[in-house]
Amino acid sequence: MIRSARRNLQIGALLLVMALVAAACGGDDSGSDTTAAPTSTTAGNGGTTATTAPPATTTTADPSAGEPIVVGGSLALTGFLAPTAAIHKVAGDLFVERLNAAGGLLGRQVEWDVRDDESVPDQAGALYERLISEEGVDLILGPYGTGTITAAMAVAEREGFVFPHHTASLTYAYTYACHFPTWPVGLHTNISNPNIVYDALVASGNPPETIAFVLNEFPGTQLIGYGPPGSDAGGAISEAEKRGWDVVAEINFPTGTSDWAPIAAQLAAADPDFIYMGALGVDGVGLLTALDAIGYAPRGHFYQWPAPGPMLGAPNAEGAFSVATFEPHAPFTDDPEAASIVAAFDEAASAAGLPYTAFETQASVSWAAWEVLIAGVEGAGSLEHDAICDYLVNNPIETILGTVDFDPAQQNYYGDLSVVKQIQNGEWIVVHPAATAKPGTSPQL
Amino acid sequence: MTKRGKALAGFALAAVLLNLVPTLVEATDSPGFYITFMFTAFFWISQAVSWNILTGYSGYFSFGQGAWFGIGVYTTGILAVKHEWPFLLALPVAGILAGVAGLVLGMVVFRLRKLGGEIFALTTLAVAFVLASVARLYSFIDGGRGIFMTSTPLPEFLGDFRTAMFRMTFVVAFLTLLAAYLIFESRIGWGLFAIRDDEQVAHGLGVPVFRYKMLALGTNAFFSGLMGGVWALQIGFVTVDDVFNIRVPLFVILMSVLGGMKHWMGPAVGAVIIYTLTDRLNSAGLEDVNQIIIGGLLIVLVLAVREGIYLRLRARWKLALATFLAALSVWTLADLGSSVIWDFAYASLLTVGVTLIPTRARRRTEVRSEGPPVAVDEEASTDRGPG
Amino acid sequence: MNEVLNQAIVSGLLIGGLYAVMSVGISLTWGALKIINLAHFSFILLGAYATYQVSNSLEIDPLLALLFVLPAGFLAGVILQIFFEFAKVDEFQSLIISFGLFIILQSITRTLWTADFRRIDGANNPYESMSFFIGDIAVQVAPLLAFAAATGIAIGMHLLLTRSYFGKAVRAIVDDPEIARAYGIDVRRVAVILSGLATSFSAAAGVFIASYQSLTPNMSLGWFGIVFPVVILGGLGNAVGALGAGVIVGVAAGIATTQWGPLSAPLVTFLIMIAALLFRPQGLFTRQGSA
Repeated sequence: MIRSARRNLQIGALLLVMALVAAACGGDDSGSDTTAAPTSTTAGNGGTTATTAPPATTTTADPSAGEPIVVGGSLALTGFLAPTAAIHKVAGDLFVERLNAAGGLLGRQVEWDVRDDESVPDQAGALYERLISEEGVDLILGPYGTGTITAAMAVAEREGFVFPHHTASLTYAYTYACHFPTWPVGLHTNISNPNIVYDALVASGNPPETIAFVLNEFPGTQLIGYGPPGSDAGGAISEAEKRGWDVVAEINFPTGTSDWAPIAAQLAAADPDFIYMGALGVDGVGLLTALDAIGYAPRGHFYQWPAPGPMLGAPNAEGAFSVATFEPHAPFTDDPEAASIVAAFDEAASAAGLPYTAFETQASVSWAAWEVLIAGVEGAGSLEHDAICDYLVNNPIETILGTVDFDPAQQNYYGDLSVVKQIQNGEWIVVHPAATAKPGTSPQL
Repeated sequence: MTKRGKALAGFALAAVLLNLVPTLVEATDSPGFYITFMFTAFFWISQAVSWNILTGYSGYFSFGQGAWFGIGVYTTGILAVKHEWPFLLALPVAGILAGVAGLVLGMVVFRLRKLGGEIFALTTLAVAFVLASVARLYSFIDGGRGIFMTSTPLPEFLGDFRTAMFRMTFVVAFLTLLAAYLIFESRIGWGLFAIRDDEQVAHGLGVPVFRYKMLALGTNAFFSGLMGGVWALQIGFVTVDDVFNIRVPLFVILMSVLGGMKHWMGPAVGAVIIYTLTDRLNSAGLEDVNQIIIGGLLIVLVLAVREGIYLRLRARWKLALATFLAALSVWTLADLGSSVIWDFAYASLLTVGVTLIPTRARRRTEVRSEGPPVAVDEEASTDRGPG
Repeated sequence: MNEVLNQAIVSGLLIGGLYAVMSVGISLTWGALKIINLAHFSFILLGAYATYQVSNSLEIDPLLALLFVLPAGFLAGVILQIFFEFAKVDEFQSLIISFGLFIILQSITRTLWTADFRRIDGANNPYESMSFFIGDIAVQVAPLLAFAAATGIAIGMHLLLTRSYFGKAVRAIVDDPEIARAYGIDVRRVAVILSGLATSFSAAAGVFIASYQSLTPNMSLGWFGIVFPVVILGGLGNAVGALGAGVIVGVAAGIATTQWGPLSAPLVTFLIMIAALLFRPQGLFTRQGSA
């Protein structure tokens, strides 16, 4: 027993010392850097190092013109956020491909180093840390999903990296001066977003008198439904009440619900004119299927963030509303550039095996995030994050979503650019506001 | 000096040396991620080692690590963010609350003597799910809104965020290892292993079965919760789904089984190996095959190392150490790995691989034909407890 | 409100049948073979995806997929059990190994079908929301079919275990494998067949799931919280118990949802599970001290 204890100590101490020595040596030899200015980029593949510039002692404006600019990031390629993150992967890959074909960024090719954060926030945070400090990426782009974005944003703030991101729903919480959201819902999304929808219902000429709320217990949908926690600003429910509509049901369900029968029974009994579902993914499909099974078809229904493809196949889906930022039809595709992106995305998504290949909301916000990043770098003329941040804050940026003007007074948000879409004749089309609606269509209720 | 004195001295030495790491990393201008890597390793070490204090020592299989972890995370979340307590004040409360919850469970469950084996395991799983539901239901806990930990102020003496995380996780991991060691080498540890072998017999031998089990469970829960409390900061945005899922409970099982459950150090070794593996696979960008490799390795390693890697390493420690140092030197000096972590990863994997090579003493069918009967796995039988 | 409650109870009953089919496989291998096979969740998932693929590609009724899925599942179970026998694993190790397998199969599923949601084309799938009415109460056909299957499995397994030589062999093995072997029972063969049966049940559950739900690889993780309570309440290795437990879980969740809101349902389910564990750990449907 004495021998074993001593052995433990010896091993432990020796290992520790060797590890420290190795760390000391490694710090000098591998030439990795912690600053934002690029001196060498190593792609972090096991065992192979890209050719490295000699250990930099000064930062130069153009150290390695032939080297690709590396944009690092993570996505929920596995885990519960994976279904939609798959779209962002295709969008990002396509963007980079087209960018490189058009000459790249600052005369250099761009490489997107994207990793799997498994939908786990602490993993996302660590990933961004690693990308920035160990692998020395030049730029970063946010991951998919509120939790992972929050963790990554904290890292970006600590490291002073510009952080464009595309799908963080809890707008009120983001205060980092250099975060640039392309989820274009405005700072007070809990008020603006439901009202855009309600305006569409009024525009149909047949607004509801009774309304039922079925909300996923996910922070984003809860925000829309009730407003920020601890504030009395309210959300979709209180805004409906303000319009004089009668709230006949208010049901909150756990994320990942798969048995919709009891909820369907309650809804059918309440029989509202309109169902407002704070839905994610296939929540809407599950609900509609269960409603159909008990012989009930909603008179009017709205789904917050549904997976668009599966909704089209759900029973009684015709007439379902949702919010959008882009749909692959006129007037969005009037711009030939947009039309060409839509066509290219369709091809790329099919090649990737995705069942629904339309370039719509999710893909468009991803695209816009990339556009913001590139515009910032080009505007600043360098990869210095301070310069990029300055440029983005002080200049309006053209994106596929329209002109985006980050307003520091609104935590870099810029108003709600959401539009309302509806399933008509088996397709999602934008119906409101009229200027963005597909020509010849309007909300049907 | 007594054996225990030497061990404690070793702990102290390790503590001092490790504390120098952040300074060293900054001084050599090394990637800050090294610090993140280490403190994440500390997180897993603490979770696995604390879990093993209950399951490995006493044989009471717990699926409930998620419960204690979750309590810890939410306690600091609620106290430090919602009620604006100083973080370092909220942190011990996280550990204590988790520990108390463990003791409460123990009060109920250990009193019922029929509750052994898989039934206990499933009860612990159920507890985790119940807590998740409760957190979802009540908005003073979560209510579906989540808790933002990103603006939690930390005291200045801890340094910047990464260094602060390193120091806090280090302290907790250190205390966990210390506790595991002290229990292991004490009468309580002996008693727990006796319970693991045969609870009735242990009881008959006069082991205070209930008290010891409560201690093990309470210690498990306390440290898991304490580390959870620290980890809330790393999670950034705490939600029920991200915290109360099977990731932590399942991984501590994997790490402990792999590292070896019959020794206090086993789970720590398992934690380092599995975490390094998952981190490097992710770093290599092999997403598609990442999971397949991990799954495959788990199967292979569990079959290849019945008693856990740690004991195997210790039984052939000279070989292990030599391999490790040699590999590390080769990789570092030849700059084969693009970072220290890769160097470490390759060296570790090689070491593990080398010690897995069967030797004569390991062939299961061998029986000594002369002399007194000797256990076939002679080198490994210096471990604690039988088998 | 009464109507809603009645509907919820009936729906809960039916989905309980599905829960039972999902759980009976892992319950059998756990109870009889002392193997905790987490890969069962993968087999359910693969059964579901196979159904989706077969139904969409061949444009046939999803239930016909059973013809393919059942034997494939059986074979998978046989192979797996042969592997476990060969590797001589104990309960802990079977847990780890099956978890490794689970991860691998999950990854393969994701590679083959991507993480995006999949749903059988309505044109080929009449069961999606098919239902008939008994008075005011709707009876959804998809879970009803699962319920029928669960009943069949329960009756079948019960008869098998009590009336056949094979069943006797199984019970002998559960009591004491060594002595069973000494009495001439081919333990390995019995275990392998039992494992095959168990896995085919799990795969069948996948068929029913695919007939009315959307599929994504990660959904298998959500099943842990359903299957474990059912397994416990029903008693390890007890197919009849699985049906009863499934019904209890389904109905309890349905009632809780309509009375106290959907957020309370998992809480109720797990409190029931804990109560059962504490006061009747062998399961509600197993006689004291029997397998």
